[in-house]
Amino acid sequence: MIKITDLQKYYRTEEVETIALNKLSIEVKEGEFVAIMGPSGCGKSTLLNILGLLDDPDGGSYLFNSIEVADFNERKRADLRKHNIGFVFQSFNLIDELTVFENVELPLIYTGVPASERVGRVEKVLDKMQIMHRRNHYPQQLSGGQQQRVAVARAVVNNPKLILADEPTGNLDSSNGNEVMELLTDLNEQGTTIIMVTHSEHDARYSHRIIRLLDGQTVMENIMI
Amino acid sequence: MIKNYLRSAWRNLKRHKFISGINVLGLTVGIACCLIILTYIIKELSYDTYNANAKDIYRVTRIFKANDGSVSLHLSAVAPPYAHLLKNEFPDIKKVTQIYPIGGVTLRYKEKLLNEKNAYMADENFFDFFTSNILKGDAKTALNEPYSVVITEELARRYFGNEDPINKQLLFDNQLNFKVTGVFKDLPANSQFHPEILMSFSTLNDEKVFGKKALTNWGNNSFYTYLLFPPNYNVAHIAAQLPAFIDKVMPGGPNNHPSKYTELTLQKFLDIHLKSHLDSELEDNGDIKRVYIFSAIALFILLIACINYMNLSTARSTLRAKEIGVRKVIGAQKKEIITQFLSESVLIAYASLMLAVLATWLALPAINHIADLGLSFGSLLQPDIILAIALLPLAVGLLSGVYPAIFMSSFNPAKVLKGLFKAGSGSLSFRKVLVVTQFSISIILIVATTVVLQQLKYIQNKSLGLSKDQVVALGNGIPAETFDAFRTDLLRDPSIREVARSSRFPSDRLLDDQSMSVMENGKLQPVQADVKYVNTDYGFVPTYGIKMAAGRNFSRDFGTDSNNYIINVAAAKMIGWKTPNAAIGHDVKYGDISGKIIGVTNDFHFESLHQDIVPMIMRMPAFGKENFSKVGIKLAGSHASAALKTIEQTWRKYQANTPFSYYFLDERFQKLYTAEQQQGTLFTIFSFIAIFIACLGLFGLSAFTISQRVKEIGVRKVLGASVPQIVIELSKDFLKLVIVASVIALPIAWYAMHKWLLDFASRISISVWVLVMAGTASLVIAFITISFQSIKAALANPVKSLRSE
Repeated sequence: MIKITDLQKYYRTEEVETIALNKLSIEVKEGEFVAIMGPSGCGKSTLLNILGLLDDPDGGSYLFNSIEVADFNERKRADLRKHNIGFVFQSFNLIDELTVFENVELPLIYTGVPASERVGRVEKVLDKMQIMHRRNHYPQQLSGGQQQRVAVARAVVNNPKLILADEPTGNLDSSNGNEVMELLTDLNEQGTTIIMVTHSEHDARYSHRIIRLLDGQTVMENIMI
Repeated sequence: MIKNYLRSAWRNLKRHKFISGINVLGLTVGIACCLIILTYIIKELSYDTYNANAKDIYRVTRIFKANDGSVSLHLSAVAPPYAHLLKNEFPDIKKVTQIYPIGGVTLRYKEKLLNEKNAYMADENFFDFFTSNILKGDAKTALNEPYSVVITEELARRYFGNEDPINKQLLFDNQLNFKVTGVFKDLPANSQFHPEILMSFSTLNDEKVFGKKALTNWGNNSFYTYLLFPPNYNVAHIAAQLPAFIDKVMPGGPNNHPSKYTELTLQKFLDIHLKSHLDSELEDNGDIKRVYIFSAIALFILLIACINYMNLSTARSTLRAKEIGVRKVIGAQKKEIITQFLSESVLIAYASLMLAVLATWLALPAINHIADLGLSFGSLLQPDIILAIALLPLAVGLLSGVYPAIFMSSFNPAKVLKGLFKAGSGSLSFRKVLVVTQFSISIILIVATTVVLQQLKYIQNKSLGLSKDQVVALGNGIPAETFDAFRTDLLRDPSIREVARSSRFPSDRLLDDQSMSVMENGKLQPVQADVKYVNTDYGFVPTYGIKMAAGRNFSRDFGTDSNNYIINVAAAKMIGWKTPNAAIGHDVKYGDISGKIIGVTNDFHFESLHQDIVPMIMRMPAFGKENFSKVGIKLAGSHASAALKTIEQTWRKYQANTPFSYYFLDERFQKLYTAEQQQGTLFTIFSFIAIFIACLGLFGLSAFTISQRVKEIGVRKVLGASVPQIVIELSKDFLKLVIVASVIALPIAWYAMHKWLLDFASRISISVWVLVMAGTASLVIAFITISFQSIKAALANPVKSLRSE
């Protein structure tokens, strides 16, 4: 599903050039659950941003479903993103001014799903995430665990092929963290490909494969049994 | 989608009440100013549009040229023969009509005796030109017969109450009876003239009034002549033939080329109110320049309000960064983010419009009270205006929102969601430009207001060279045969100092002139330039406190003074006498009368200060032959009411059949500057509003910027910074912008106001202190505005801010 080859990314200031990704090559197959680990600054988040089409690579190739997307313009990237990719963040990133329902509904609005259909789909996913009873609440009225469940609901409401999760349990206690990991595992079992950046060995054990990065390069790959 | 945008926008507004409040308040005030100015513009542009024929009517005007070819006089009326000659010469002219203003008249019906104004002699086809609602009588025939009169509904009610006025007789000026043949509804306020009494033009043929011969007088240019053309007729080719027409029809014939010294022009009827400022207009006209100036002010104020929105929106973009990032991550494209923020600004603009309409409705009566403009909220309630107003917030919203929308839509979601986005970093310099723009406009308005008010004060206090105070001007003239007795009776009262007659009151225009020659070496040499004349009597110089520069006033001690002349210094200089004394005793001929110059007055402002002092001559021809209807009475001092009582009693004794009426001369002078006073008042109001909105924006911007620097302030305080040091540190960036704005605005303001002042012959020069004051005032106002926030921040306990970080 995803194949990156010799991917490069630099960050430049006036005096210093930092290499974030150094000719990195990775392949992720459809239905896989991959964890990416490594110390701070190793390029995990940069990789995730590029995979999520939020950032451009400076070199190399990125095939998404066998289509080269590295040189996509913003419109094409947004289009591909909204139909194929769901995001889950450490800090949830819910929109404070929108209710739970409205937050989850938002991706459907951008993909042009009719209003009548949206209600059913949002309710279904909220139900699945067991957050239906909070549908009219605002994010700030929810606990961290509940907020992350809403964020996961929002990530999956469009039935994306790929979910990119950036330390999804980083702001949660272990109990809520485990719940979120269970949710991701369920989604993966239903066929969604998941790529997750994490610092937690515990969370990484939910994945099929762990890719360890250092200085923008793969240093080790562990297949989980 | 839009619903989602609006919902998000509404909740954002509620959540950030302070900034939202400033945005809405700024836009509300800005839009309200626009609506108020719009009522003014609508009023000015609506003049004469009620008239169904307006587009096809042209007024004939007459130019008189000096020997050097320059225009010495441009009258809005022409001599009576032109009307039918034009019609005969140019068959394309559908109709011609003339009106001849009589002005004030005394009307009597039974026991009712009143002074009336706005009386006109009008051609029988008057109503074919000037659309009006005839309530009684027949518009086609009402003015056909001599001694017919058509009056307004209000006038009919005043004299006839519930009686039917048709065929009733009204006695004019105790001399002539006119039969009422029609009643018409008053012409609307937005008409360029407002006749109340229309007397049939054919009456002028009567020898008792004018006589047929007088209607062939080429020198009496008091006949307002209008031509009606077929729809969309191009009058240019007729205008081009007018010089040849003049040469053909005027006395002297083609060989003398009268077109060398006089011209006729055709003036669009619809242009008269705003674009015509000729000599002897029927009423005071408006000025298209004022319409432009106030339109510009409206746009400037709106721009300041829009800039507030842009500034505050981009400054607080950090607060929206996460939302934008999230929306982009889940698939929103740039154009969708732009649409969202534009919807938000348009929503705010519409909310502001609602409040602005209410504010306009509430403010208009107060503005009318202050500036006496007669603006009407109702004028906004026309379908096309409503549509324009309804679209205004769309324009305002798009203008205000487009920059913040584009700015925010270009956020990189990866960065903003990682918290790597810095507060308004990319937009800082653009925000600076916007603040500079706002303050530049405000400073220009401060300078404009100060200069307008200074010029008004100058006009009011300037020595005119004559005394306009304590002079009572009578509303009616007094016959020559009773004048001496009238004067003698008045002067028995010690509260009355002097009485004068003249052909014009000071404050009137000086429009009359005849040819003048000066005796040199035994030969009369013509004076090349115009010398305007006023008929005066012995009392004129003392009544109006005019100072003699040389020679003497007219005196009863000299029997020959009716052939002698007094000139002003300007005339003496123009003729070439080096000193006033040098003029005394010279033989001159003015018109047909030869005499000597017996006195030279200091120059004085007979006319308004809009006009230069022109060469003038005062003469005292035999009374009764010339028009001496303007009676001025100088009071002795503080007993004005006693003096007025004496004047009224004396008037009744000699003029029992003419109602007593009067006004004070200083009020008449004051009225000459009504337009400037209104302009000054409106400038003051709108300048304050502009500065208020600009400060509102600065207040919000400083609040936000300072809130971003809380940690820095804490660190500075911990390191020993004092409160004043922190206040200066926080204020200096903003104050620098105001200084830059001053540097840009002051030369522009100086230039604009210098041009404005050129309309006045007597004017102030713009002092450098006005510019320094405007710059300093804006700096002080800006500093005070910022201080609200900066002092609060400087006084805050640093422990709290550092802990919160």
